[in-house]
Amino acid sequence: MENILNNPDELRKVRAALLNILEDTDDLRRSAVDERNKTTAIIENLTDGVILLNRKKQIEIINSSAVDLFSLDKKTAAGMCFLDLVNRDNANQFRSILIDEDKKRIKSTYREGATAINDLHFEITSVLLKDNEEEKGFLIIFHDVTKEKLIEKMKTEFVSVAAHQLRTPLSAIKWTIQMILDGDSGEINEEQRDLLGKTYLSNERMIVLINDLLNVSRIEEGRLLYNQEISQLEDIVEEIINSSGELIKIKKMNVDYKKPEKLLPKVKVDKEKMGVVIQNLLENAIKYTPESGNIKITIESDNKNVIFKIKDSGVGIPKNQQDRIFTKFFRAENVTRMETDGTGLGLYTTKNIVQAHKGEIWFESEENKGTAFYFTLPINK
Amino acid sequence: MIKKILVIEDDKFLRELMSKKLITMEYDVVSAVDGESGLAMIKETKPDVVLLDLILPGINGFEVLEKAKKDPEIANIPVIILSNLGQKEDIERGLGLGAVDFMVKAHFTPQEIVEKLKTILG
Repeated sequence: MENILNNPDELRKVRAALLNILEDTDDLRRSAVDERNKTTAIIENLTDGVILLNRKKQIEIINSSAVDLFSLDKKTAAGMCFLDLVNRDNANQFRSILIDEDKKRIKSTYREGATAINDLHFEITSVLLKDNEEEKGFLIIFHDVTKEKLIEKMKTEFVSVAAHQLRTPLSAIKWTIQMILDGDSGEINEEQRDLLGKTYLSNERMIVLINDLLNVSRIEEGRLLYNQEISQLEDIVEEIINSSGELIKIKKMNVDYKKPEKLLPKVKVDKEKMGVVIQNLLENAIKYTPESGNIKITIESDNKNVIFKIKDSGVGIPKNQQDRIFTKFFRAENVTRMETDGTGLGLYTTKNIVQAHKGEIWFESEENKGTAFYFTLPINK
Repeated sequence: MIKKILVIEDDKFLRELMSKKLITMEYDVVSAVDGESGLAMIKETKPDVVLLDLILPGINGFEVLEKAKKDPEIANIPVIILSNLGQKEDIERGLGLGAVDFMVKAHFTPQEIVEKLKTILG
């Protein structure tokens, strides 16, 4: 040290070096400020509402969208405890999504839907921020999906109205053909009867298609299930098997169904919709199995679920198309080649109905050997 | 005794088809094209059964049914809803308002509708 102080050359060098460091630090500071301003500007101007909470669950950052959403002003909001924020009258619907009432904790959510007071729809995501094992706070995002909801609703309404409107001319066709077939407008010959019979069936297919479309629009409206009752799944299965008797006879199918020896636990279902599920699965098994094939239906239960299984000796689902089998309007290549008719809506509807009952559906299939579909329904407790 | 059926249906062709079928089956048929005149016809002609469409110009079928069931003079005339609505809510609403049955037009043939009429007429 003494040496340096006595040596003006050295001093000058040190001074220069220090100035350099200071300059660098200042640059870094400035760029840090720049970065912060940029980040703030980005967060501030996001159309989604964003709230960042610190470890004590106090608001650290809140952007304009979020401030508007809670009708606050920035000053009141800063430092506010998040629990106080969601306890306000205008935030009830967010509270139930974000707060675990038992543990008084903030829940982690991903795109959970909520409707705010002024009929705005949001998807709420809340992420726990962690550094190693230490909790740093929460990031909560309010994504406005009001417009999407509106468009979805318009689309669904359109389908619903169009479907009902389509039924009127189809009814007229159905009634006319049936009355001619009944001989209400005079005798017809065999050829005419044959042609009209086929026309009648075509028209019936259109009516079925429209019913499927209506079901799909209900799925998309999220009001698929109507009236859930405690039921015995066996009863529904037996009813559907009986009502399909004609179809089974025509294709000479061997349908093997043995009623479980002991009564199965009860399930809570919309009977009509559950009927649609079983009907769809049974019809598919019949339709996609060559004449005189085998269909085996079993129902069992474990301690959580009632499990339905239907196995056929049919054409199977090609491996490369198995992942699309539950999508809307999809029909596997091998069955379209068979000239069987179908809308591609059956399994889509089926899956949605099962899931609406909090059940699961899956299948195992091998081409030219057969397919087994399974679904579960939680036991009513 | 010939039974009288009132068909309330706004679609001309469907109305004609239904009327024709009913006449073939030897019923006496009267018809109306909208809710307003339908309700008036129930009072005026006192039919044995009403076949009622729901989507009608002016007052709709639900309102016709509601008003008819509130009018003691005609409240006991059985009403079958024959409509192309058919969601569960519609059905429950119709039956709740006092219809004896709810038939979706596209799901039944005229013959099947007549069978239904016969069971209701006893």
